[in-house]
Amino acid sequence: MQSYILAGLVLGSIYAISALGLVLTYTSSRVVNFAHGATAYVVAVFYHYLNHVQGWPILSAAVVSLLVFAPLLGLVLWAALFRQLMHAPAEIRFLATVGLWVALPAAVRIVFPFSQAEIYQPQGLVKLPAEIFHLSIFDLSINANQVAILAGGAAVVIGLTVLLRSTPMGLATRATVDSPRSAEISGINTTLVTAGSWAVGTAFAGLAGVLLTPILGLSDLEFTLLLVASFAAAVVGRLTSLPLTFAGAMLIGLIQGISVDFLPSTGVLATGFKPSVPFIVMLGALLLYQGLRREHFEVDLRSGSATRERPAPPKLTGWRAAVGPLAVGALLFSVPLWLNDFWIGVVSQGVALAILFLTFTIVTGEGGMLSLCQATLAGVGGFTAAALATHSTIFGEQVADWFGSSAGWPIGLAILAGALVAVPVGMIVASLSLRLGEIYLALATLAFALLVQQLVFARSEFDNFGTGVAISRPIWLGIDFNDRTDFYLLLAVIFCVVAVLVVNLRRATTGLVLAAMRSSEPGAATVGVSIVRSRLLAFGVSSFIAGLGGALFALTIGRAQPSDFNVLIGIVWLAIVVTWGVRSVVGALLAGIIFAVVPQRLSLILVLVLLFTVGGILANLVLSKRIFTALGAALAIAVVAGTVFGIPRLYDIEFGEGWRDVPTLLFGLGAVALARQPRGVLFDFVSRIRMQQAERAARAAEDEGAPHELVGAT
Amino acid sequence: MSGPLLEARAIVVRFGGVVALDAVDFAAAPNSISGLVGPNGAGKTTLFGVLSGLLRPRSGQVLLDGVDVTHASVQRRVRGGLARTFQRLELFTELTVRDHLIVAQRVRHRRDRTMLRDLVGAGSRPAEDEVEFVAGILSLLGLDDVADRPVVSLPLGTGRIVEIARALATEPRIVLLDEPTSGLDLHETEAVARALRAARDNRGVAFVLVEHDVELVLQLCEEITVLDFGRVITRGNPDEIRTSAEVQAAYLGAPAEAAP
Repeated sequence: MQSYILAGLVLGSIYAISALGLVLTYTSSRVVNFAHGATAYVVAVFYHYLNHVQGWPILSAAVVSLLVFAPLLGLVLWAALFRQLMHAPAEIRFLATVGLWVALPAAVRIVFPFSQAEIYQPQGLVKLPAEIFHLSIFDLSINANQVAILAGGAAVVIGLTVLLRSTPMGLATRATVDSPRSAEISGINTTLVTAGSWAVGTAFAGLAGVLLTPILGLSDLEFTLLLVASFAAAVVGRLTSLPLTFAGAMLIGLIQGISVDFLPSTGVLATGFKPSVPFIVMLGALLLYQGLRREHFEVDLRSGSATRERPAPPKLTGWRAAVGPLAVGALLFSVPLWLNDFWIGVVSQGVALAILFLTFTIVTGEGGMLSLCQATLAGVGGFTAAALATHSTIFGEQVADWFGSSAGWPIGLAILAGALVAVPVGMIVASLSLRLGEIYLALATLAFALLVQQLVFARSEFDNFGTGVAISRPIWLGIDFNDRTDFYLLLAVIFCVVAVLVVNLRRATTGLVLAAMRSSEPGAATVGVSIVRSRLLAFGVSSFIAGLGGALFALTIGRAQPSDFNVLIGIVWLAIVVTWGVRSVVGALLAGIIFAVVPQRLSLILVLVLLFTVGGILANLVLSKRIFTALGAALAIAVVAGTVFGIPRLYDIEFGEGWRDVPTLLFGLGAVALARQPRGVLFDFVSRIRMQQAERAARAAEDEGAPHELVGAT
Repeated sequence: MSGPLLEARAIVVRFGGVVALDAVDFAAAPNSISGLVGPNGAGKTTLFGVLSGLLRPRSGQVLLDGVDVTHASVQRRVRGGLARTFQRLELFTELTVRDHLIVAQRVRHRRDRTMLRDLVGAGSRPAEDEVEFVAGILSLLGLDDVADRPVVSLPLGTGRIVEIARALATEPRIVLLDEPTSGLDLHETEAVARALRAARDNRGVAFVLVEHDVELVLQLCEEITVLDFGRVITRGNPDEIRTSAEVQAAYLGAPAEAAP
């Protein structure tokens, strides 16, 4: 028993270090850093690189990575990103840090490559094998690693308390946290305080990461677990209270440690209980706070400034509005004419993903909600459809036998069932935290996604030694959809139907109401919009699309498997959709196709980058003043020529293993850069040109003496 | 109909140890413009919050047309005919002026509960009576010229009038206005005053103004309530308020005309 308590305290200390860093950065800048786990990972990999690859002694590697590299990383990220985000709307803060979460691990693996074999038992702050001490008072063995972790936890807590309570820096920090404006007026350099808290917060994340690796290894998954556990602890502290956060972290650690004593040693509970502890603790805290706050939550009392996006250019009308969609449709349906069978297969996956990605268009693009469990909902749809279609008994024998005792359900019905099952699941998760506000929805959906991944998708019925649940394509109306072209066309038709539904929804009352809520919740409430109800309905629709997309994706690749629907894939999906336009159905289509195609041919990235350089230069040509036009034209001609002659050659280059993470890095960076423009790359590009045209027309009209209209800033 | 349209009875609100409102009574008659004034910290904003449903009082009652709405949500009060505007604009930045009114009108008539019809594309065209109703409000408040402009491009004064128009599109019987002229110049203030009078005369809507601009309140309102330190110090018509000794004392002895 004592050893389990010790294990719990050790885990709790790591969570506490990480969670305190999270709360520190949040309170000083109001940015919830979803990349917190990723920064921990980066510092841990850097330490591993110095210590293991470069062979530095533990002490110097620790000093350099924890006291120099980590604070520096925090400062750089703060200056480059978080600083700009402080005054951005919640949606943008969230998407940008999610982009960072995708980009950072990919970047660090490219810069400091390490082999898979190294990640299981890296050395922490203590030389391996760790020395073991025996404490006779408690009848307990404790190893040097555990001593280091407990000491680290104590040092952080004591250090932070002393720093905040009894130093001038601490006073300045507390003042800044309470009211940045008043602090600034009293002569406190709040910029310095915020920057400092990011440096310290990142160093805490790094320390947690380095301490974690000898116990759990250097894998992405463990760091996501660390992130979720830190979030759960931070939620206990309502993201602001350091003592409550510490208590929450210790509680989670202790439950995880002690429960090992009572759990069976094999089976799903043995592996699944631990990751569900943060979720349960977070859920408990959310429900408790929701109960406490319910009275006042209909509308937040502080009426904040409304979202200020770049205004959209005037809507196209008549035949002009139809040109874009028709061109995209023509391109989509002509794919079988100009691609071979292999690439049709690849693009099919892309279109199936595009259908799935429309879930983000609804939930984040239209609904303005921050959900991290859409991949999980897709998995629910995919597994349900596959299990029903193949007569699996996951749902019980009666359900499986519904259409005869040997055959599974008809494929169409199985897919529909998959989509429908996702709806209540999604709505229940959303309803748990929707009232508390945007960021809590993101936290709850993340914890839920991880829970399902570890507790449900990891079960042998679903995982099946990594092969998943098979599902085969149907024969409908005499068409055998095992034919790649026919199947591709089927997916394209389904995509168009779902896309039209999404656009309909946007143009109708539902879309107006969602747009109203996105720009001003108090405003929407005062015209009588029931905010929670509208959001919940939108979440339901998005869950349906996620389930449908997941089922179709499973049908495309022939099986539903856990690795296709895990949390980290989900955030990469979100990042790429944000890059190409989270509010645009064409954006979702491009995102899906690029996600499927780029890993097949890494050189396509270079082609894309080149195309965008060309596009960017052409756009600047249209926009720029006359002086630059000549220069730009020359450059554009050079680049166009280079692209035309270069593409065929680039296309054939083969890239090594080290490039594997490059697409992920670019997707993440794209999301970071484009979070401010929720309509994505294409929209940004087109709208710049059209705004410019509109301005020119307005100027021309003014010159002719047209009546001066009201123009000004609100 | 006799009796007040909106009434607050013995409202008490405490923030920690501070008594923000101490047994405050307030009433607004149908088809009238009433004012709520007082120096900073008098409790105007708190009372406004209680009336509009953002704050729950410690004790006391809020009656809307005789129905107790003390614990009703903002949304339920809207359906009961109570609308409001904001001091700091809470407009829907992505929508045009016309769409603001259409949203308000549809939600009012529960036409926002049509997700399935919306999905198949049946709900995108506004109904004829809706178009007519919205056009009526737009021309009443002089917003025709900017009807199809996104609100981000409008000046503050026009934004305030758009908020009033949005409130009117919920077909209210009473609208609460939170400092409708703060930050506006003389010209814009007059435009807002015109809009309020037009709406009252044409639509029979009552207004309650919470204002710093005492002169405007004296010009516009029939009944004025003066708060100070969380208590009602006097109420009456503009002439009575102008000459009231309590009001002059509350504004530091200065004559009411010169008050902030």
